[in-house]
Amino acid sequence: MLRDLERDVDVRPVVARAAQVRPTPGALDALRESGNRIGALVKHNVVMRLRDPGQMISYLVMPMVLMVFLKPLYVRAVEGGATQVVTGLMVMFSVFAIAIAGSSILVERQWQTWDRLRSSRASATELLLGKTIPIFLIMVMQQAVLLTYGCLVIGLPIPPSIGYVALAILVWAFALLALGAALATIARSLGELSVVADVGALLVSSLGGALVPVAILPGWAQAAAHVSPGYWALELMQRAIAGDGGGMLLPAAILLALGVAAGAFAVRRLTRGWGRTRLL
Amino acid sequence: MLEALDLVKHYGPVHALDGFTLNARNGEIVGLLGHNGAGKTTFVEIVSSLVRPDRGVVRLDGRTPAQARGEIGIAPQHLGLYPSVTVREHLELFGRLAGLRGATLRHAIDELAVELRLLEIMDRRTGVLSGGQQRRTQAASALIHRPRLLLLDEPTAGADLETRQAMLDVVKQRAAEGTAVVYTTHYLPELVELQATIAVARDGRVIARGTYDELVAGLPGEVRLVFDTDDDETEEIRLSTTEPTATLIDLLSRTKRPVSSVDVRKPSLDDLYRSLAVSNAS
Repeated sequence: MLRDLERDVDVRPVVARAAQVRPTPGALDALRESGNRIGALVKHNVVMRLRDPGQMISYLVMPMVLMVFLKPLYVRAVEGGATQVVTGLMVMFSVFAIAIAGSSILVERQWQTWDRLRSSRASATELLLGKTIPIFLIMVMQQAVLLTYGCLVIGLPIPPSIGYVALAILVWAFALLALGAALATIARSLGELSVVADVGALLVSSLGGALVPVAILPGWAQAAAHVSPGYWALELMQRAIAGDGGGMLLPAAILLALGVAAGAFAVRRLTRGWGRTRLL
Repeated sequence: MLEALDLVKHYGPVHALDGFTLNARNGEIVGLLGHNGAGKTTFVEIVSSLVRPDRGVVRLDGRTPAQARGEIGIAPQHLGLYPSVTVREHLELFGRLAGLRGATLRHAIDELAVELRLLEIMDRRTGVLSGGQQRRTQAASALIHRPRLLLLDEPTAGADLETRQAMLDVVKQRAAEGTAVVYTTHYLPELVELQATIAVARDGRVIARGTYDELVAGLPGEVRLVFDTDDDETEEIRLSTTEPTATLIDLLSRTKRPVSSVDVRKPSLDDLYRSLAVSNAS
């Protein structure tokens, strides 16, 4: 090919510059290059998130304030009131944070940047990891900070096993991230995402017992509570704080299954792209 | 370098591509002309592996677009920029995604900042830039890794003169270095300046291909002369001719009246389109 071109036009000295073919990298090199691309995407997404931290701050400060004011009520109303108010508000505001995951993906569609990324050397998996790792870290950080605040300020008993708590936070953050990503692929605008995320979060967390313990909900609500991911999140978190590893298994398995299903749906949609007919 | 053969793509009842065939060699600039809906953007999307054709083959040095993705630079018709991210950060992101690191990346960024006249805005967020500056940023992010195939989809749409000239200069430079360029536009003069091979697309297929001179040969241009009259009015003569320069000289040598202005219009894209439409119909 180069020889053909050199025959036609005398551009040999400069052709070499643009037309050099990159050698096929070995497995280790390929892995390093992939890591570099994911690193570049993570850095890029962290920069964007830090420049627009409003949602993050809201979902961190609001539960802190509510915990302080609702604690006396819960302590008088139910046994283990401090645990209920901390875990309940943690779950509720972490569900609200689905909007962070959703909007960070949806804006790529609004800005028409997703196709720019898809046409780069990065694979679909790398793009998704680069996009979701920062959001996952935000969600983990939000819950870790709220739990620490609960222990230090609200009087939540120090959990006997930090490992169980960390595991519970990771599992729940994964499920939330996957739900948020799936939601972003079907919402048509930020307004629509906001409505679904906010109303959905209120329903999921209320039905799951985040505001009022399931035991004192009406009969129909108690029966329906098991459908809510919030119920299993609360169950997982309370078992982890109590150091009940065995009791964590079922809620963790349910949340992981939910996360895998939602994640698979989101990956399929994002890999295909939205296409012209679905552009905003 | 690029071979696209008999591409077909339907969006429901819309035939976006209907037997689209186009080649580009290393160092060649192929100007893809066509009205809206001619299939230009769909073609660019297929070559950049964003869309799969229903039928047909695309090869870049024998590889599929997905296999050769790192060697393609694309600047889509619509602006795809992150408003809260600076120009420099955009170039760093797309450079790193293409495998550039350290000094190589910094050198590539510095070089493009000069070539595309971005020096003064490198550390400004793209959301506050003018349309022309955003166009140049988008083009820079497509050029950062010195791709072997450059796909520019209406890169000067709505751009100011500075942007247009910077874009044309850098495209010429990269083609001279061996990059194959596919440049879609509505503006024929840009392709003339780029000395591009011109391909005319219509209804999802390429209906003509050649140099500007080859394509417009035999098409009529227009000569317009404006005369001053005795009663301070003006009079105008317009002639459609395939030899506008010779006709003008002939007219000027024969007239004895004072000529206030002369205008020679070469055949335009629309003339070419009309001519091709007539020849296709017949």
